[in-house]
This record gives sequence, C-alpha cells and structure tokens, in this order.
Amino acid sequence: MAAIQPAPPAGYELPPPRTEVGVIGWLTANLFSTWYNTALTILAGAGIVLAVWYGLAWIFAGADWTVIAKLGGRFVIGQYNTDAACPGNNCFWRPQASLLLVIALLGMAWGMKGNAVARNIAVAVTAAAAAFAFLPYSMERMGLDVRLLLLAGIPALGVGYALARFTPLGSGMRITIAGVGIFLLTLLLLRGLPADWSVPGLQPVGVIYWGGLMLNLILAVGGITLSLPIGVALALGRRSQLPVVKALCVTFIEVFRGVPLITLLFMSQVLVPLAFPQDFPLNSLFRAGIIITMFSAAYMAENIRGGLQSLHPGQAEAARALGLAGWQTTLLISLPQAIRNVIPAIVGQFIGLFKDTSLVYIIAMLDIVETGRTFILGNPEYLQSAREVFVFVAIVFWVFTYGMSYVSSKVEESLGVGRR
Amino acid sequence: MTSQQLPRFLTYQNIPLWRHVLIIQWTAQIVSAIVVVALVVWFFANISNAIQDRDIPFGWSFLDREYQTPIGEHFIPYESSDTFLYALGVAVTNTVIVAVAGVILAIFLGILIGVARLSGNWLVSRLALVYIEFFRNVPLLVQLLFWLFIILALPPVREGYVIANALYINNSGISMPWPLPTNYAFAVIWIAIAVLGIIAGLLLDKHLSRKETETGKSTYPFISGVAATLLIGAAAWLLLSFIAGEAPFALSVPGPEGRFGRIAGGFTARAGLLVLLVGLVIYTAAFIAEIVRAGIQSVGRGQTEAARALGLSPVDTLRRVIFPQALRVIIPPLISQCLNLTKNSSLGGAVGYTDLTNVAVTMTQTAPAISIFILIMGAYLAMSLTWSLIGNIYNRRIQFGSRR
Repeated sequence: MAAIQPAPPAGYELPPPRTEVGVIGWLTANLFSTWYNTALTILAGAGIVLAVWYGLAWIFAGADWTVIAKLGGRFVIGQYNTDAACPGNNCFWRPQASLLLVIALLGMAWGMKGNAVARNIAVAVTAAAAAFAFLPYSMERMGLDVRLLLLAGIPALGVGYALARFTPLGSGMRITIAGVGIFLLTLLLLRGLPADWSVPGLQPVGVIYWGGLMLNLILAVGGITLSLPIGVALALGRRSQLPVVKALCVTFIEVFRGVPLITLLFMSQVLVPLAFPQDFPLNSLFRAGIIITMFSAAYMAENIRGGLQSLHPGQAEAARALGLAGWQTTLLISLPQAIRNVIPAIVGQFIGLFKDTSLVYIIAMLDIVETGRTFILGNPEYLQSAREVFVFVAIVFWVFTYGMSYVSSKVEESLGVGRR
Repeated sequence: MTSQQLPRFLTYQNIPLWRHVLIIQWTAQIVSAIVVVALVVWFFANISNAIQDRDIPFGWSFLDREYQTPIGEHFIPYESSDTFLYALGVAVTNTVIVAVAGVILAIFLGILIGVARLSGNWLVSRLALVYIEFFRNVPLLVQLLFWLFIILALPPVREGYVIANALYINNSGISMPWPLPTNYAFAVIWIAIAVLGIIAGLLLDKHLSRKETETGKSTYPFISGVAATLLIGAAAWLLLSFIAGEAPFALSVPGPEGRFGRIAGGFTARAGLLVLLVGLVIYTAAFIAEIVRAGIQSVGRGQTEAARALGLSPVDTLRRVIFPQALRVIIPPLISQCLNLTKNSSLGGAVGYTDLTNVAVTMTQTAPAISIFILIMGAYLAMSLTWSLIGNIYNRRIQFGSRR
C-alpha cells in the first residue's frame, strides 16, 4: 500500500497523545467515550459499589454462618454415617476412601498427560481435601482418623502420578478402563458387603441414605459417562436412512425432551417399579440415574446431530471415495469432527445434568440442596439462616460447573477449535 | 438357491448375500424393532400384571369424581367440589400462565443483558458477564429456594412494608393495584377490540414502512401504528363506558381488611407464584442473553460498517440491519429456552406453587398414578409441540427468501 502521508523528517516523530494511550486512554475508550457511556459507567459503578458494600457487610457482619458448620459433613455425605444407615458410625471411611481413589485417578491423568489442565485439577482437588483436614472442628466432631484420611490425598496423588508415569498403566485406554473400574469400585465400596458376611466397617448402607454432594457427584459422573455414547447412538439413529430405526430414535428423543425431568423422576418412583417384575433388583438411586441419563442423552443427541449437520457432505464423500466403509466413515471422519464442533454445547449439557441432579428431591433423596432444605424446615430456629445455606450451596455448585467450563475451554484450545 | 434366481437388485456385482447392504440394513431394522417391541410388551405385561395382582388402581372413572383437595393458586374459579378433570385443567392453566409470563419477561431481560454484554462500556459488559456466569451455573432449584426463603423471612402481613398505601410487601407475597373487570362481557369485548387495534397498528406500520421504502418520503410508520392502536383502544373504551355507564375495567387498590389485617383487593402475587416467576425469569434470561450475544456476533462486522457507510444511524443499523439477520441465528435456540422455561416451571412444587406436576403428584394419593401420568405427559408434550410449532412458523418467515 502506498503511503498516503510522507514520513515525518527524522527527529519529529511525536509520541501518541497522552489521552489515547495508557490508563487514561483505556478509560476514555472503554468507560467515558460518550455522555451516555459516562452516565452508564457512573450508574453501573454506583450499583457495584453498593452491591459490594452491602454484600461484604452481610458476609462478615450480617450473616450467621454457624448453620454451615452445624451441617458440616451432612453437606458432603448426607445421612451416610448416621445410626440408621450405618450402625456403629464407622462407615465414614468409605466415602473418604472413594475420594482417595478419585484423587489417584486424577494423579494418573496428570502423570499421563503432564499438561497444565490435568495438573491444576488434580492439585486443586487434593489441596481442597487436605485443607478440609484443618477445619476448626473439635476432635470429637471430626476425629483424627477423618483428618488423616483427608491428608492421605497427597500420597494418593503421588501414587497415581507415579503409576501413570512409570508403569504401563499410563495410556489413554488403560486410564479410561481404570476410571470405569474406580467408579464401579466406589459404588461397591459405598454400598458395602452383604449383611450376613458381617465385616465390621463394610456393612451394607442402603442407597436411600446416600446423600449430600456425594450423591450429586455419583449421579453426575454416571450420567455424564453414559449419556454421551447413548446420545451419539441416538443422533446417528435419527440421521439414519432406515425408517424404523429413525422413527424409534425420534420418538425417544422427543418424548424425553418434551416432559420435565422432575415428572420423569417421579414417574421412575411410581411407574418404573411396576414395569419390572416385583423382585427385580432396582433401587431408587439406580432408577434416578437411568432417568437422568436418558433425559440427558436425548438432549445430547440433538447437540451431536447439530454437529453432524455442520459438517460439509464432502467429508463423508471423500472418506467413501478413499475406500472407507460406512462405519469407518462415521467413527473416524464424521463423529470426531462433529463432536469437536459442538464441545461447548456438550459441556453445557454436562453442566445441565450436574445441576439437574438437585431434582432428586422429588423422590426423597437427600442431595446437598435437599439436605439444607430439610434441615431448615426441621429446625425453625434456623429459618433466618436459609439464605446462608443456599448461598453456600450455590457457591459449591458454581465451583464445580466453573471447573467443567474451564476444562472444556482448555480442551477446545488443545483441539484447535476456531484455529483450523 | 443360486444367485441367478435372486432378484436383480440383490445380485449386484456378485456381492455375497450376507454382505449386501440392503440385507444388512433390513436385518438391523427388524432386529431393533423386535427388541424394542419385545421390551415394550414386557413392560406392559408387567404393568398389567401389577394392576391385576397387586391391586394397582388404573382407569379413567376418577376424572368425574370430586377432587376434594384445595389448589393453593388458581387463576380460574376453583372449588374443592370440582372434578379431577377440572382440577387438572386448573393446574394446566397455572403452568401455562407462568410459562407465558415467564417467557415474555425472560426475553426482555435476556435481550437487555445480551446487549449489555456487547456494550462498548467495559463496566457494563463485565456486569452482564458476571450475571450470566453466576445465574447460568447454579441450579434453578437452589435459586428458587434462595428467593423463597428471602420472601419467607419478610415480616408477616400486619407488620409488612407498605409503599404509598398501594403496594403491600410481606411474607405471603406482594399485593399491587390491578385493573379488575366491572362487567365480564364488556371487559372481554374491550380486550377483543384492543387486540384488533394492535393488529391494525401492526398492519399500518407495515404498510407505511413499505410506502416509505418505495417513495423515500418519511411516513413515520412506527409512530402512526402506535397512534392507531391507542386511538382504537381509547375509542372502544369510551364507547363501552358510555353504553354500560361505567368503564369496563376499574383499578382495584389493595388494602388491609377485617380483624387480621388481611390484604384484600388488587392483585396479590403470592409467595409461590412470585418466587417461581422471578426465579425462572432470572435463570432463563442468563441463557437468552448468551443466545442474543451469539446471534448479534454472528452478523459480520462488514454489515455494521456498510450500514453506517450508507448513512444509517446506530439505532437504525441495529434495528434494520443487524437484528433481522441475527434473528435467524437467535430463534431456534430461543424457542428451546422457552420450552425449557415451561418445563422448569414444574419446580413450582418446591416453592409452594400449584403447577401441573405439583397437582399431579398430589393427585396420585387419591387417584390412579398411571392414568394421571399418561395425562400430564400428554399435556407437557402438547405444550412442547406448541412451542416447536410457533418456533417453526416464525423461523420459516424470517429465513432468507432466496435460500432453499
């Protein structure tokens, strides 16, 4: 491009005006560019100052956080270690051992990938667990054994890291298998051994006593793991040319998308037991998990269908022209690209599923939200502390969902979405 | 049987029969159909066994029975002596009213926040970001319970806040002045005429806009349309007042009544309705804001620049160039948010609002659960189909004329 203005003679290069650069320039450009922008800035600024002022005043002076301390472990494991669930109150170590297994798995992910995301997540979870060991509870309320098991997360992280780093366990496929194995082992550990074996500390604990954040996480992890493959199958079925398969998939998707989850969950309590023989082993947790998974899979199918639609038909045609079979084209060419295109929608659905686990209140399962609600309703002296309880629960959920969107954005970055 | 005897389309290029694509496809279809049908038959057999052996009630005769249970919130007249069928109708009305009101409010708030998110003002856009990131990532149930317990922590009716002797805020809800019909027939007639007025205003706006485009002369379409609507409404109001001797609606102001100071008159949004509506709107608006932002950002920068270069004002650029194009991206996900809001209103039961699911759950105690679930599943599916239909019709109207 030809220079429109001749270059200034040497020695005459002036610095840009001070109002255009630096702090003043930024402020002018972003906050005070026009009169209405200035008005907006002042209005919004006043709002923020007021909100922060009253918010801080409430958090540090107005709010009574003793209710959180009072509920304490109930938020984490619900009624799992109460007398009704576990005579002898010696079952607390089982959720804690499960946590250690999860930390070891995170350590393995860190050891294999060695990237910043896996490391940040693994270290953050371990650090949070270790920090909980130093909560200022009395030793009667929170024993030394509980604290030590929380601190054991640090060696567990190391073991997982070393396993992935220095043994043949550190491949993607093996870690996936290890993950599924650990999830099943966790379920087994929490459920316990049959009562007539009478192993102390491993007595069976009914799923109706599982609760707190543990319940939300179990339902979310199970649902997330299963809803993606089911959703992929449904999406492929819906796009298939086979009329029967297509009709079945469309009916499934539309019915599950058209009815509220809470209605489906209540139905799982009332109707699903009728649809199976009377002695069919189907507990309420299992039923709730299946319903949540199916509901999420129907949405997932639509997301993935969107991804498949976004692909240029030339991709599949080129694959067929290169001699790939139909299933190879789908699995190796179409799906990887389709899923990569809709990662935000998929993670959004995962987040939605995690939030939806709070709906199990309708079938009388005490997840973290319902634990707080029943406590307030049962102890009217804490009615004024309801705000504190729900602000706390909201923050807990927010931390997890924020973590999920953080991982999603990093995964997208590493897959080069938007760059190629 | 040799390959020569098979029909021609099955012997193409001597592919073995078991690898023939038609055979594979049809086998897959038949197998999947058999599996699904078998499962469904098994479920139904189990259910009918349960109905017979375990005395699980089933049938439709309950619909004519008296429901005998109060419904906390109802917008159409309801007595405990009404039938189950009528009570279900009341419940559907409750859900529909919350859904429609919620969708309208959520779209307004969502557009406001979505535009704020794109504002050139750094502070405003950050505020919108914080709003979106917080309310989108916290379960609706937690938000609803938070709002509910804030309302429940308000002072009781007699010590509640009173603003200008017209607005009463207390732990049972908010009472506000509300126009109440003095005569139902005239009120309905006026509403009908007012709707016609709105349609006339829209048509006038469209006609004048076209004229403006054709002739290039200012015809003030928007102002004329609004004026026409207001004129028709006011004329009908005056005429009906003249015929009936009183205005079709009168403003009813709430006030304390009786020994207990109960608030009577006006419209009282009770805690359940209020919490559900506020919670749904705030939650859904966060999602709609993201949809609006994505829609506006999907319109190329060149469109804005070209519009500005042609001399359109910033407002006209947004209204006539950016928004019509952004709508094509916005509408499909927006409709699914409307559907989500409708379905999320089923959380009403958690905050004491008698929506369809809540009423149905209560009904299962005195009526066959299977029948009730068939009915409410049908009702929800009908609502979601209605939303899809509205969305599809609107979506078709705003597509590019030249494309497919």
